[in-house]
Amino acid sequence: MMPIPRCGHPNLGLGVGLRTVHFPYLLRHQPEVDWFEVISENFIDSHGRPRYVLDQLAERYPIVMHGVSLSIGSTDPLNLDYLRKLKSLADAVQAKWVSDHVCWTGVASRNSHDLLPLPYHEQSLQHVVERIRIVQDVLQRQLVLENPSSYVTFTASTMSEAEFVARMAEEADCGLLLDVNNIYVSSINHDFDAFEYLDAIPAHRVVQFHLAGHTNLGTHLIDTHDNHVTDPVWELYRKAHLLTGGASTLLEWDAKIPPFPIVHAEVMKARNYMSSALSSFASQPANDQPQANSTVLTSISSTVPHPATAIFAEVE
Amino acid sequence: MANRVPQPLDVIQRWMQSVIVHPAGVAAGIKSASKTGEMEQGADRLEELICRSRAQTSIERLEVYSNAYKARLIDVLIGDYPAFVHALGEEAFVGLASGYLEVHPPVSYTLGELGRSFADYLIQTRPPNESEDGSPDWADFLIDLARLERCYSEVFDGPGIEELPPLDSDRFRHLPPEQWITSRLVAAPCLRLAVYRFPVHEYASAVRHQQDPESPIAEVTRLAIHRREYVVRRTTIDAIQFDLLTRLVEGASIGQALEQLIEGNSQAVVTADELSAWFRDWAAAGFFIGLAT
Repeated sequence: MMPIPRCGHPNLGLGVGLRTVHFPYLLRHQPEVDWFEVISENFIDSHGRPRYVLDQLAERYPIVMHGVSLSIGSTDPLNLDYLRKLKSLADAVQAKWVSDHVCWTGVASRNSHDLLPLPYHEQSLQHVVERIRIVQDVLQRQLVLENPSSYVTFTASTMSEAEFVARMAEEADCGLLLDVNNIYVSSINHDFDAFEYLDAIPAHRVVQFHLAGHTNLGTHLIDTHDNHVTDPVWELYRKAHLLTGGASTLLEWDAKIPPFPIVHAEVMKARNYMSSALSSFASQPANDQPQANSTVLTSISSTVPHPATAIFAEVE
Repeated sequence: MANRVPQPLDVIQRWMQSVIVHPAGVAAGIKSASKTGEMEQGADRLEELICRSRAQTSIERLEVYSNAYKARLIDVLIGDYPAFVHALGEEAFVGLASGYLEVHPPVSYTLGELGRSFADYLIQTRPPNESEDGSPDWADFLIDLARLERCYSEVFDGPGIEELPPLDSDRFRHLPPEQWITSRLVAAPCLRLAVYRFPVHEYASAVRHQQDPESPIAEVTRLAIHRREYVVRRTTIDAIQFDLLTRLVEGASIGQALEQLIEGNSQAVVTADELSAWFRDWAAAGFFIGLAT
C-alpha cells in the first residue's frame, strides 16, 4: 500500500509563528496568512490577552500547536496534567496537529527550558517510542515531532540522528516536523551531510517544515531564530520540498523580531524554492562553515539557541 | 558509533543536567558530578562521553548549553521585571537573578512560573535595614517593585472579567436599604489589593513608558490592581477604601464590612454620598462581578 503523504495531514501552505509583538498588527490588519503556529505553553494556562488573541485568530486561520516542554526523551514520568491541558487547548482551537521536539528538557523534576539532545541508541529509541505511544493515547491524536538543533553528540550513540528520527517515526507511527535550519546547524556542528540526512527521512512522515535564521559563532552555529533564512538552508528546503512533494512550511523568528510584514515576506520566499530542480549549491560547500576568522558574536543574550518565547504583562 | 553498553539514559541525563546548570560553569559541574554522582566522568575523560567536534572540545560544546541555560532564563526574568531591572541596573540584576535561579530552579513546563518566588527570595536575602528610624530603605523599594511586577504578570494572564457582563451600578442605587446591608459583593478574579511602602506603580509605569524615573521617596501606597480589556490597570485607593474593599473581598456582607470599618477606624468619616460614589466607581472599574442579595 502506498504511504499517505504527510500522514494524511493537509498542506496548509506558508505560515508564521505567532509572537506577542505582532498581536496588535494581526488584530488590526487581519493579513492574508495561510496559517499560524503557536507555542503551546504560552496558551494552555492563559486566561488573558494571549488566549483572547489566539481565539480570535483561530476563527480566521488554521492553528497548529508547537510545544517546548513535552520532554519526550526524559526519564522523568510524563506530566499527565500538562498533556491534558494540551489536549484541551487543541480541541478548543481545533489545532490541525500538535508538535514538540525529539529531546528532553529536564530530569529530576527540573525543566531547563532547553531542548537537550539524546544519545541515539536502541535503549533511547525504545524509550522515546514507548512515550510517544502514551502521549498519542492521551492526546487522542498523532504526535508530530521535530528534529532539534544540537551542540553535542554522545560517544554512546550507535546510530545517526536521521536514522533515529526515521525509526522513531515508523515504530511509534508519529509525524515529523522537519526543521531544515536545525538539520543545517547540526550538520555543521557535527560534521555530517545535511542532504544525506534528508535522504534518510521517510518523506511521507513529514507533516511540516520549519525555517529560521541562525548565527555563526566561528566554531559552531547556533539556532538563534533571529534573522533571515540563509541560502544553504533554502537549498536544503528546496530538496526537502522535492522529496516530500511539499508540506506546511513555517517561519520561526524569536529574537530581534521585525514587524510582521517582514516576517511574513521571509516565509513567502519559500515559493522560490518549490521548483523541482536542485540548484548548483547541492554540490558546493556551505557558505557559512565556521571559520577561524569569522565574526564572533560575544553577547550571550544575542546567541541563545531557540530563544524562549514568554508572555509579558501589558500594563496601562 | 560506539558498540559498548551505554550508560543508562537516566544516569546520562542527571549527569548532563547537573553539569550544564552548575552555577560555576561546566568544568566545575563536571568536577562536582564526578565526586557525587553515578558517573565518574572527570574533565580528563570527558571525550569518552561527549564527542569533540572539529572546532570545539567536548567541554566547549557543553558550554553552549550551560551559557544558554543561564542567558535564556535571565532574559525571561528581565522581561518579567523591567522596572526592577531599570532600578537595579542590568549587570547587578544578572548577578541577583543567577542567585535566585540557584535557589529556585525552573520546575514548571511554563516560563510564566519562573519568577513566582523572586520577591520572596529578595526578602530572604536582603541586607539589613540600617536606617536609624527603621524607615523603608532601598531594599524595601526593590522588594515592593518585585511584588508589584509579579502581581502584574499574574493579573495579566489569570482569569478576568472580559467575557462577563458588567455589574450594573444602578443596582446599588435602587437596592432597598435592608437588602443593601445584607448583600455580598462578588469580587472579580483579577482584583488584587496590595500595600506598598513606595509609590512603585508610578515608577514601574514610567519605566514601561521608556522614561528614566528617579527612585521615589517612601510613601505608603495602597493599590487596587485589576484588569479591563485584557490590560492591567492600577488604582490608588486610600486607607479606608482599602480596608473596606479588603473586607468585601474576604466575603463580608456590605453591612458587616461597614460595621467592621467603623469599629476599626473610629476617626473614619464617610458620608453616604461618598460610599455610593465609591461603589459606583468600583462597579464601573470591574472590581466586582456580582451582587448576591
